[in-house]
Amino acid sequence: MRKSQFWFVYLLLLTGQLLLSNYCCFTPYLMLSILPVMVLCIPIRVGTPLAMLIAMATGLTVDWLSDGLPGLNALALVPVAYARNGLIGLVFGRDLFARKEDFSSRKNGISNVALAIFLVQALYTAIYVWADAAGMRPFWFNAARFFVSLAAGFLVSLPASEALAPDSRR
Amino acid sequence: MPRPKLFPKLLNLAVFIALEAAALGMLARYAPLQRVWVSRAAHGFMGSIWGGSQQVREYFGLKKRNKLLAQENTLLLQELERSRELLRQARLDTMAFPRQPGFRMIHAEVLQMSHNSQHNYLILNKGYEDGIQEKSGIITPLGVVGIVEAISAHTCYAFGFRNRDVSISARIGREGGTGILVWDGHSRSGALLKEIPLQYKYQPGDTVYTSGHSLLFPPDIPLGITGKARVVNGATNEISVQLLQDPTSVRYVTVVHNNSFDEIEEFQL
Repeated sequence: MRKSQFWFVYLLLLTGQLLLSNYCCFTPYLMLSILPVMVLCIPIRVGTPLAMLIAMATGLTVDWLSDGLPGLNALALVPVAYARNGLIGLVFGRDLFARKEDFSSRKNGISNVALAIFLVQALYTAIYVWADAAGMRPFWFNAARFFVSLAAGFLVSLPASEALAPDSRR
Repeated sequence: MPRPKLFPKLLNLAVFIALEAAALGMLARYAPLQRVWVSRAAHGFMGSIWGGSQQVREYFGLKKRNKLLAQENTLLLQELERSRELLRQARLDTMAFPRQPGFRMIHAEVLQMSHNSQHNYLILNKGYEDGIQEKSGIITPLGVVGIVEAISAHTCYAFGFRNRDVSISARIGREGGTGILVWDGHSRSGALLKEIPLQYKYQPGDTVYTSGHSLLFPPDIPLGITGKARVVNGATNEISVQLLQDPTSVRYVTVVHNNSFDEIEEFQL
């Protein structure tokens, strides 16, 4: 995928996320987000500091243009960008960095991609739920919200990852 | 040669902390609930930092504090001795025996100490310009440490308790038999209480105190705990004593001098 294509898809998915945040609020237990997978799929050539800045900008955009608390998505998304390289190395191996090659489900296996998505989604959801509750909500509410949001976010993130990281050999 | 990776890691961490702080700041600014939460967490964090730094400061200030405590201890001992003396005098006044003894106490620090000979010694950081006199006792709240033998302007030389030439008049309990306490000659904090008449009964575990019969030490300073005994020549008991104060680990001491020492010495001559 060319660079410009990636950023075009990225902006499209960001718009999709804005729609999800503004119009898909069915229950307080569910918080739908594809932001973690978007940050995970930022090309490997982009270094961690820049990836964190992009994550911050993405989070703030969603925060300001939706009904959420300003800074909440940014707070949860920056750690995803910070942990991104380590997590990619852990799941896909350090070879990707040597070859400066992005991951895809075809090259690296759907299970590995799903595992990586699950991990970033869990990290993001945990921070989001924890900061949103601000120590005022009961544990069981937070736990239920975390698991429901993680499951839903994971499911919607799989196609989003396919859109952002298609296999070049396909 | 591989490039050092510390700098990029530090840069990542710095950017991460800065961005998270900015996000938290924004959250605290616009959301009242989160403001309380962030402020509580910040206070807790600062509290732990200040608490930690305070502990470190206190740790490094312990030497100074120990010195102050030792000085305060000397003053308290002096006060105690003065009170005891007043009490003694009040009792004696009824019998019309005028007496003016009492002990002068000076706080000092051990500069040097020998451990490995049969004639161990100490050198203290106070001399005659500080009021120290020869034939003064050296004590701590837990026992007797030595006897001043020679003095210079700002230091004094003393025989340690672990010295073959040092003996102390000691008593079992407050009103038990009186004998002579000497170092056992080999252990770190072991001593022998000699010449206890057989008729005096005692139990292992009794406390041994200074008797007050010596000119060097005030009475009732706890010295040690009695242990096993053996009969010597069928006439007296020799009791092993575990000293309360390990004489080798002492640092701050009190030098005590009997105000009536010269007067009594003249009588004895």
